[in-house]
Amino acid sequence: MAEIEQEIKEMVAKIIKVDERMIKPDANIFIEYGVDSLLGVEILAGLDKKFGLDIPEEKLKEIKTLNDIIRIAKETISKKA
Amino acid sequence: MSQGTFWYWRKLLRIDEPVSEEYLKEFKSPLVIFRPLFYLLVYILCKLYFRVKVFGIENIPKNQPYILAPNHQSALDQTMVSYAIGRKRREDLYTLATKLFYDRPVANIFIKIATNALRIDTVEDFFPALRAAAKVLKLKSSVYINPEGTRSETGQLLPFRVGVGVLAVETGAPIVPVYVDGTFRSMPPGRYFPKPVQITVTFGKPIYMDGYFKKKENEMAYDVYKEVTDELFKRVSLLKVGNKDI
Repeated sequence: MAEIEQEIKEMVAKIIKVDERMIKPDANIFIEYGVDSLLGVEILAGLDKKFGLDIPEEKLKEIKTLNDIIRIAKETISKKA
Repeated sequence: MSQGTFWYWRKLLRIDEPVSEEYLKEFKSPLVIFRPLFYLLVYILCKLYFRVKVFGIENIPKNQPYILAPNHQSALDQTMVSYAIGRKRREDLYTLATKLFYDRPVANIFIKIATNALRIDTVEDFFPALRAAAKVLKLKSSVYINPEGTRSETGQLLPFRVGVGVLAVETGAPIVPVYVDGTFRSMPPGRYFPKPVQITVTFGKPIYMDGYFKKKENEMAYDVYKEVTDELFKRVSLLKVGNKDI
C-alpha cells in the first residue's frame, strides 16, 4: 500500500505541476497551490489509467487533499478486491 | 502518465452518447410567447436609449454550431448580445445561466423570456451544465457562455474558466470571442435601472478547434483546454482595447 501511496503522490505532483516534496498530505491542493478544481478530473483520469480504478464522478467533490485521493483510491481498491 | 486523458473527459461529459432531437424542447419555456414583444422593446431601447453599435457580426460562423463567449459585467450583457445577433440566431441560441440568477423568481422569468436558458452551478457542480451544453451543440444549435463565470464587479476582465475550452475542444464547435462595452457604465452589478450609455457589441473572428485535436491525443487534456481558454482570453482582451480585427 505504501508503494501505491507513493505512486499516487508522484502522479498528483505531475498533474498539478508542483514538486512532489512540497505536497503536504492534508493541504487543500486547490487552495494551497492555486490549482484549478477541474484538475480533479485529471486526477480521477490518472487513477483510472494507472490503477484501473473506475471512481464515480461524485467523488470529485471529496477530492481536496492528497490524503483524500489516497483514501478514495484505497476504498475503490478494496471494493474491487 | 498524465498524457492523453481526453477519453476520460468525454466519458464524464457523456459526449459520445446519442441525443434525441426532443432534448432541446426542455429549454424552451412556455414564456417564449412573450419573446417577440420583449425584443420589440429591447429593439426600441437599443436604438434610442443605448444607441447600440454592432461590429463583426460577419464573424459568426454560418451553417455550423458555435459558442458565443462574451465578457460579463452587467445583467444587460446577454440581452445586448441577443439583440446584436438578430432573431434567427437568437432562437437557436442556448444560454448557460448561473444558478444565482436562474434561481431568483423574477430573474428566472426574465431569462426564460430572453433566451433558452440552461442552469449552471459554477460553484458546486458544473458538469451537468457542460453536459447539457455539449448536447445542444451536438444537435447543431449554439451556446452562449460567460467564460468569467460571474459578473465583474469592477468592469475589468476576470480570469476565464476552463469549462469553455472543454466544451469547444470536445464538441469541435468554434468559439466566437465577444466584447460588450458600455453595459458596466450603464448598469453595473447592484444597479437595477440602466443609465443611457452607448453600448457596443464586438464579435471577433472564431477560434477553430482543428489545431487542438491532435494535441489532445498526446497532452494532458486539461492543458489543451486551458490553452484554448487562454487564447480566448487574449482575443477578448484585444477586443476590449478596441482592436476590432481580431
